[in-house]
Amino acid sequence: MNGNLSRFLASVLKDTRIIARDRQALILFFVMPVLFVLILSLALRDAFGDRPGATFPVLVIAQAGDRVGDSVEASFRTNPHIQLTRMSRATEAEVRAWLVQGRYKFAVLIPDDATGQAQRRVGEIMAQVPPELRIERQVAVRVLVDPALRSDYRKVLEGVLDLALHEVEMRLAREQLEQTLRITQGKDYAPLPDMEQTRLLAPLPAEPVTKGAVGPTPTSVQQNAPAWTLLAMFFLTVPLSVSFIKERDQGSLFRLQTMTVPAWVVLGGKAVPFFVINLIQMASILAVSVHVLPWLGGDPLELGDAPLALLVTGASASLAAIGFGIAVAMYARTTEQAASFSSATVMIMAALGGILVPKTVMPPLMQDLALLSPLSWGLDAFQDVFVRGGGVRDVAPEVLGLLAFSAVCHGIAILRYQGRL
Amino acid sequence: MGIACAPSALGTAAGADLPAIEVRNITKRFRDDVPPALDDLSIVVPQGVIYGILGPNGAGKTTLLSILCGLLKPTAGTVRLAGHETLSPEVKRMLGVVPQEPAIYPTLTGRENLEYFGRMQGLRGSRLAERIEACLQIAEIGDQADRRVEHYSGGYKRRLNLVIGLIHEPRILILDEPTVAIDPHSRSLIHQRLRELHAAGVTILLTTHYMEEAEQLCHQVAIMSRGRVAVEGDVHALLARHRDDSIQISLDRDPPSNLAQALQGLPSVGDVNLSGRCLTATAPHPLEATLALLQTLGEHGVGVESLDYGHASLERIFLIYTGEDARP
Repeated sequence: MNGNLSRFLASVLKDTRIIARDRQALILFFVMPVLFVLILSLALRDAFGDRPGATFPVLVIAQAGDRVGDSVEASFRTNPHIQLTRMSRATEAEVRAWLVQGRYKFAVLIPDDATGQAQRRVGEIMAQVPPELRIERQVAVRVLVDPALRSDYRKVLEGVLDLALHEVEMRLAREQLEQTLRITQGKDYAPLPDMEQTRLLAPLPAEPVTKGAVGPTPTSVQQNAPAWTLLAMFFLTVPLSVSFIKERDQGSLFRLQTMTVPAWVVLGGKAVPFFVINLIQMASILAVSVHVLPWLGGDPLELGDAPLALLVTGASASLAAIGFGIAVAMYARTTEQAASFSSATVMIMAALGGILVPKTVMPPLMQDLALLSPLSWGLDAFQDVFVRGGGVRDVAPEVLGLLAFSAVCHGIAILRYQGRL
Repeated sequence: MGIACAPSALGTAAGADLPAIEVRNITKRFRDDVPPALDDLSIVVPQGVIYGILGPNGAGKTTLLSILCGLLKPTAGTVRLAGHETLSPEVKRMLGVVPQEPAIYPTLTGRENLEYFGRMQGLRGSRLAERIEACLQIAEIGDQADRRVEHYSGGYKRRLNLVIGLIHEPRILILDEPTVAIDPHSRSLIHQRLRELHAAGVTILLTTHYMEEAEQLCHQVAIMSRGRVAVEGDVHALLARHRDDSIQISLDRDPPSNLAQALQGLPSVGDVNLSGRCLTATAPHPLEATLALLQTLGEHGVGVESLDYGHASLERIFLIYTGEDARP
C-alpha cells in the first residue's frame, strides 16, 4: 500500500475513534436533527400542501333567507380556510367590538332587504331607466377587518366575497331577464339553459408543474426534511472546526507538521468521518420522514424517483459543509472563536437560504439574496427531486455549485495549513 | 531496558564528521517595529551529544526549535541538519520532536497514540508492532497501554509524549522542556532514557529551565539571552572556567542606584551583575576582587549577609550571562 494512503487510513481511523468515543456529540449529531424534523414537520403540517392550514374566522350578518346573504355564505363555506359564522342581526358597534376582541378577522354586513333592493335595481336597469332617474342605489355591502389580518389573506377574502356578489347579481339579472321574456314571448317562451351550461370560460383546478411526469404537491415534510438535513450537515462545521483547534492546542497538529505528513492526509483524514456522519444523518432524517412521521400523523415524505440524485446532492452538500468547517478551523485562533463564528455563519446562511423561512414567503430581494447561500443550492436540489420529480441532470447546477464551494474552501484550508496563506 | 537505534544516514561514514545540527547566523524577525526573536544566532551541535539550550522566557528558545523543526522559516541565516540545508522527507525522518505539552490524543489509548504516530512516520506491519511494544517498555507504561490517555497521570503522559517522539528511532531528538511539572520518579526515568539514547548514538537537543538538569544531563549548553547566544560550550569547561572566577554576595539591603556603576568601575573585577540583593561577579583574582567589592559596598552603606567565591554552577553562570533567574 502506498505510504500516504496508509497514513490517510490511519488518520481516518484515529478521527473515527475520537468521534465514536464522544457520546454527547453522537447524540447531538444524530438525534437532534431527527427530532427537529419530526417536531417542525408536525407543527407546520397544515401550513404547506393541500391541507386547510390556517383558518380565518369570518362573520356574515344577513337576514335569514336573504338570497344575497345565502349566496355569500355558500361561497365562503366552500373555502376550507374560512371558518364561517352567520348571524341574522347584529349592530355595527357589536361587530366592531368582536373584531377588536379577535373573535373574527373579517366581517361582512349585508343590509336588510338587500335582495329586494337588488331586484328592484336590476328591474330599472333592464327597463333602461336612465341612471339619474333610477330610484334604487347599489346595495352597500360593508366589510370590516381586523388590521392584524395579513393583507394577502384579506385580498383573498375580498375576492371570495366579490365573486359571491357577482354570482348573485348574475342570478338576479337572469331572473329578471326570464321574467321579461316570459311576458314578451307569451306561449312561445322557452326557459333559458342552465347557468352552468352558459359559462363561456371554465377555470380548471391548478395543476402542479414538475420536471418529470407528475410530482406530488409540496408538503411540510418536503420543506423541513431537506432543510434540516442541510442545517444538520452544516452545523457539523462546529465540532469539525473545534476538533482541529483542539488538536492544535494539544500540540498533536504541531507534531504532525514536523513529520513528512502531507496536508491532504491530515485534513482528509478528518473530513472522511464527518462525511460519513453527514450521510448517516441524511439517511436517518429521510428514513424517519418516510416511515415515522406518518405514524405520528404527519404527511409521509415522497422521495421521488431519483435516489442517485439524492445521494449526489447529499454528498456534495456534505463536502461543502466540511470544506467550510476546515477553512474556519484554519483561521480561528481559539475553540470559542471557531464555534461561535461557524455557528453564527451557518445560521445566517440557513436564514438566507430558505432553511428557517421558506423562500416562497420571502420578498423578491431576499429570494435573490438566497442564491448566495450554499444551503439554498442544496435545498433547491432536494426540492428538484422531491417536489419537481427531477433527476441527476436537474440537480447538476446546484451540485456543481456546492462542489465548487467545497473546492474553494478546501483549497484555502490547505494553503493556510502549509503556511502559504 | 536499553534502547537500540537503527543505523541511519547520519551515522554513515559520509556524514560522520558533519555536525548533527548547524545553525549559522540565524535571524528571525516577526515584525519590523520590535527587536528580532533571534538575532544573528549561531550554534553547532556535534553528533552524539546531549546539548542544552538554556535561557529565560522570551530568549528565543521556542522560535529556535520551531525553525529547527521546519515550522518557521528564518528571516536570514542557514540551518543544516546532518549537513542538509533542506528539510526533505529523508531528513525529517531523522528528526524526533517532543513538544513541551504532551502532544497526544486524550481519548485514544496509549497504544493507539503510538500506532497512529508510528503510521504517520511511515511504519507498518510487524515493524510498527515491534516499535509500539518497545516504546511502551521504554516508557514503562505497558500496564496502562490500553487505557485512554485522559486517565493517565501527568508523569505517564510525559513519558508517552517522549516515546512517541522515539517511535521511528530518530537520530536527532529535539525536546522542549521534557520534565516540566512532573513527579521525581518520571523525571528520573526520562533522564535515564535520555542517557540511554545518547549511549545508543542519538543526538539530543533539549531546552530546560532546570539548571541542575542541564548540569547532570548535557554535555554542551548554549545560554540564550534576547535572541542571541550569550555563552556556549562544554558544560565541564564552562564550570571550570567560572569556578575560580565567580564571586557571589548576598546584600543586607536594597542597593543604592549608583552602586552598580561603582562596582563595574573596579579594575580588579570582571563581569558584574547586580540583581536585587544578589551580586555576582567574575574576577581573575577572587580574593583581591572580593576585598575591593566589600570596600565599595561599605562606602555605599551596604552590608553583606553572605559571601561565596570559587563555587561554580550553571545557575550562577546563567545569572551572570542573562541577568535573570533561570526559573520562570
